[in-house]
Amino acid sequence: MLEALEGSQAVARAVAMCRPEVVAAYPITPQTHIVENISKLVADGKLICELVSVESEFSAASVVLGSSAAGARSYTASSSQGILLMTEVLFNIAGLRLPVVLTCANRAVSAPINIWNDHQDSMAVRDAGWIQIHCVDNQEAVDTSIQAFRIAEATELPVMVCMDGFVLTHTLETIEMPDQKLVDKYLPPLNFSRKLDPRAPLSLGTLVGPEHFTEARHSHHAALMKSTAEILAADADWAALTGRSCGGLLTVEGPEDARTAIIIMGSTVCTIREAMSVYPTKRKAKLIKLRTFRPFPAAEIRAACEGCKDVVVLERAISPGAGGILGVEVKAALMGMKRQPVVHEFAVGLGGRDIPLETWPRLMDAVARDGEPSFSILDVELEKLPVEER
Amino acid sequence: MNKIEPAAPEAPPQELSPRDRQPRWRGLEAGHRACQGCGEALAARLVLEAAGPDVVVTNATGCLEVFTTPWPQSAWRVPWLHSLFENSAAIASGVEAAMKAKGQRTKVIAMGGDGGTFDIGFQALSGMLERMHNVLYVCYDNEAYMNTGIQRSGSTPHAAMTTTSPPGKERMGKRHMKKDLLSIIAAHHVPYAASTSVSFPADLRRKVRRALDIEGPTFLLVHSPCPLGWGHDASRSIEIGRLAVECGLFPVVELERGELGGVMPIREPRPVTEYLKLQNRFRHLFADDHRAREEREHLQALADHNIDKYHLRGDGADPLDTAGIDTVRRGGPLR
Amino acid sequence: MATLLTRGAYALPGTSLNFKTGTWRSEKPQHKHWAAPCHSACPAGEDAQAWLAKVQEHKPREAWEALTRVNPMPAVTGRVCPHPCESACNRGQYDESITIHGVERWLGDQAIANRWTYPEAPKGAGGRIAVVGAGPAGLSAAYHLRRRGFEVTLFDAMPEAGGLLRSAIPLTRLPRDVLDAEIARIMGLGIDFQPRHALGRDLRLDDLRSSYRAVFLGIGAGKSREWSVDGAVPGDYADGLHLLKEWIAVGGIPMPKAVAIHGGGNTAVDLARVWKRAGVAEVHVITASALPGPGADPSDVLNVVPRELKEAIEEGIVFHEHRTIQRLLMRGSKVVGLEMVRLRKLPDGKGRMARVAFEGTETVLHVDMVVPAIGEVVEPTGIESLMHGANYFRADAFGRLKDAEGVLVGGDSRGDRGTVSAAIGDGRKAAEAIDAMLSGRDAVEERRDVVTFDKLNLHYFERSRRVALSELPVEKRTDVDEIEGGYSPAEASREADRCLSCGNCLACDNCWTLCPDSAVLKMKEIASDGSHYRFDYDYCKGCGVCAVECPCGFIEMVADD
Repeated sequence: MLEALEGSQAVARAVAMCRPEVVAAYPITPQTHIVENISKLVADGKLICELVSVESEFSAASVVLGSSAAGARSYTASSSQGILLMTEVLFNIAGLRLPVVLTCANRAVSAPINIWNDHQDSMAVRDAGWIQIHCVDNQEAVDTSIQAFRIAEATELPVMVCMDGFVLTHTLETIEMPDQKLVDKYLPPLNFSRKLDPRAPLSLGTLVGPEHFTEARHSHHAALMKSTAEILAADADWAALTGRSCGGLLTVEGPEDARTAIIIMGSTVCTIREAMSVYPTKRKAKLIKLRTFRPFPAAEIRAACEGCKDVVVLERAISPGAGGILGVEVKAALMGMKRQPVVHEFAVGLGGRDIPLETWPRLMDAVARDGEPSFSILDVELEKLPVEER
Repeated sequence: MNKIEPAAPEAPPQELSPRDRQPRWRGLEAGHRACQGCGEALAARLVLEAAGPDVVVTNATGCLEVFTTPWPQSAWRVPWLHSLFENSAAIASGVEAAMKAKGQRTKVIAMGGDGGTFDIGFQALSGMLERMHNVLYVCYDNEAYMNTGIQRSGSTPHAAMTTTSPPGKERMGKRHMKKDLLSIIAAHHVPYAASTSVSFPADLRRKVRRALDIEGPTFLLVHSPCPLGWGHDASRSIEIGRLAVECGLFPVVELERGELGGVMPIREPRPVTEYLKLQNRFRHLFADDHRAREEREHLQALADHNIDKYHLRGDGADPLDTAGIDTVRRGGPLR
Repeated sequence: MATLLTRGAYALPGTSLNFKTGTWRSEKPQHKHWAAPCHSACPAGEDAQAWLAKVQEHKPREAWEALTRVNPMPAVTGRVCPHPCESACNRGQYDESITIHGVERWLGDQAIANRWTYPEAPKGAGGRIAVVGAGPAGLSAAYHLRRRGFEVTLFDAMPEAGGLLRSAIPLTRLPRDVLDAEIARIMGLGIDFQPRHALGRDLRLDDLRSSYRAVFLGIGAGKSREWSVDGAVPGDYADGLHLLKEWIAVGGIPMPKAVAIHGGGNTAVDLARVWKRAGVAEVHVITASALPGPGADPSDVLNVVPRELKEAIEEGIVFHEHRTIQRLLMRGSKVVGLEMVRLRKLPDGKGRMARVAFEGTETVLHVDMVVPAIGEVVEPTGIESLMHGANYFRADAFGRLKDAEGVLVGGDSRGDRGTVSAAIGDGRKAAEAIDAMLSGRDAVEERRDVVTFDKLNLHYFERSRRVALSELPVEKRTDVDEIEGGYSPAEASREADRCLSCGNCLACDNCWTLCPDSAVLKMKEIASDGSHYRFDYDYCKGCGVCAVECPCGFIEMVADD
């Protein structure tokens, strides 16, 4: 049934349909509405679960670590500083191979403090060992949230569902909410194999020395690499049930013979998709909607970029002193292609700066200009800076 | 994705071995790698003995975690979860929430050292208490960061030497007082918070059982001598813990909803110097130096203050006072 | 094969057992069965700690059996022994020593009341042994020989067995039904008792030696010592032991107005009390020894059952310690007084102890009778060849005589014994020596190191007073009623519970509870023999906590290579 819902509310309801047994969260803008909506569902008796209102994101992550280890389906959500305060626990959850699902309402990281959207927070924890999936709109946020539990529990890897703060979390859209029965059919109850159980008392979280730590890291890496199969299967199964796919690891839109490609994650995909139709450019371009950032689908990106001369990467976060983050990874993925495209990295929309439709023709102009640096912040207004700091 | 078992323990013999026939619940097994005479290892075993098998233990990073679980071995016979240094209380909250969600009655015991409890894990602990999780938190208090090599913690007693509070021309060991954690815990208005010592096993066991019988958050502070960190002979661990209680520096008390309940009366208070002189961490207090004397007197005053504050001075011999509680007879402890 | 990493690096329960921490150890704990001080102090060789442990376990029958493996007559010794065990008891340094004699007597009385018997003695397969003298030494020897399977013929000059126990100990200290019961039980083992057989009159040593495989002489010291003061002897001279025996046998005794008894043993005290109760106004005991008390040198103290001395003083007997009689004041052949002088035993220039009287300390005591009770010597008739003119036998620790193979001696005939318990010990040791000799092995007497007070951990014991024994008040004391009462079962149990189990396992669980490494295993419920706990050296790190916290000093740390 189509409903007009705010993104946070829709995600809250989707999560509730997954019947989490423990939810722990600490409020932070722009994740707040998700937690508030879940709290209301619990208060109204529409969601039967242990809602643990913790004293920090650190404890939120720790609580779901504990509950997940005890075999309960567990969920949390956060943003920005909250994600960073969780950092130590996020690594730990992943290393313990616990199937936790977390919604990251993407937001900039201070200082200066800024509550608006970019991807700096989830990028900061990209090495924590989580699966990271980006959503371009609220329908995808709903569908991915449900898929996330399925993926997490099948792979015993935690999944971070990334949705842009405000742009998605606070935006009303018409959304097809799935039926509870359908979700129940799609997502069987969790039966975690290593749960804390007095009848089979395992010790979780042991000390591993140099003689096995390398293997622990390798197996974690291998598990993430292998998880692509489950990500694809989860999406395909969901599509079979609902007719809606979220696009697996990535999807390519536009003419196949385009010599230019643009790679984007998150809601900016929709902005640029719209801009491409409003501002048709001379050169043919295709849009690569990158959904899965971890595991990083290098082979799929290479295939998508086959035949391209130019590849534009639109960054929503930067690595100061180096440049882009996603762009570097795309470059690495394209290395060694027979006809290696030129990769243009542009950061836009940092800390919630508006990304107007005109961004698209500007990008194309920038690509056309020769001698363009490989990375720049497209929408920076240098005149706002003292000369010596430009 | 296949499940791989670590090297299996030796095949169980046909007949039960003497170890398997011990008439007590063995929650913490032999073969752990604690130092000789480790108070914490003993305290943890005693806690589990009293708690029984239907528990889940969470454990902060620290000596206990390290010496019990060098993979692929584990000394635990209860489900056990270690995550980080500062989140034992929080993961315990999660485990407890899971148990509640599943309708299980299994008790959750969170464990940590004084570093993970007084200091870095304090916020998570406070949150756990405030949210009234049905968890017993046990802090093994050995009064410094022992796992990292004896650095001062919020629990280190005044004037004690650690590697980060060394005595010297300008200092006489730790400058600050031992944090009064128990009062802070009690201020959360939890149903039960108590201190005990590994040197008084009967008291320790009773308090574990009492705490586990209570629905809601409970807290036990267990004084646990550390031969390495305190600088005493391994064989004297129990004796030193006993002296800490008998001199008044470590009061053994029970706080019910924040109010002082029972205390273990001290039959004959010992001078603090009897306790201090057995430990290298207080060696500088016995130098021929007016500051040393002053600090000895300071510690005596702190002990006297505890004795007054908690009314620890016994009123004649009591079977449950410091001298009576461990009385033995043929066939076991008196009670 | 490489160990395969588990997902998330989980571990299985209790797998630490694969890691043997015992290799860290440089010292290891081990159990050491010490001798408790009570054991080492007992002339009979009783291990009071061991049988008190059985009482603590509420197994009085087993306690009695352990006791009577050494001493067949606990109801007697519980009454008449001066119990050096209690003086040695470590608990005396903590609060008050255990009333060992009280519990011993209770066990003995329980055995009589419940008709407990010794284990049946094996048929006489070991050969025939002659025992001469049915006093404590002879009874003990006969008992132990019989239990070892020998056929025993027991001779005594008197019509009944018992020796001095029967003839010289007042009923107030030893009711005869108690004595009779314990002797009857010994005889019940199948001993051939031949009364009215005196050595030298009815028996010849040579005949005994040729008819029996070995001979034990427990003939006591039956001959009074010559006594005079500087050559003077009272006209009404009689020695103390003689007067006491006569009183016990026929009830008659001379009645002086004031009497002085010269001597410091049980005979002196018993006789003094008889006289006092008979109505003699002044009864003095003059002794070269000291009265017991704080600071007294134990080797210098009266050889008297301590409570008997206490009771005697209560009854009004005057003791003159560190004195001797220097002169008798005579009117004709009749004594009218005596002169005492202070003296001490002091080392002389050659390192030997000698008695030194102190000039200027002379005092006069007006008495009309002076009686010596200074001990007796062996009656040499019939055994002159063994005595070599000496007053007593000279024998080794087992009672073996150097120049007469197969002849062993014990009890008062050795001259340095002086207690019933020592005589019982002699009988036991002689039985071992005879058994060893006849089976061609060396005789052995168990010797263990003695555990001292400082080895105990007293934190684990509460202070407690000894459980008092009832006692007849002075005005109710008679010549026949036993003065000291016995324990009730509850009292005996309470008193036994005070035993600190010095140097032996108390089964208290301390080591089991306090081992940080779970390296002490409990093997069974309560076992006082030390088999209760076992060290698991696979895991013991040698920290020594168990040794420090053992209340009894039963665990010691030793180097471990």
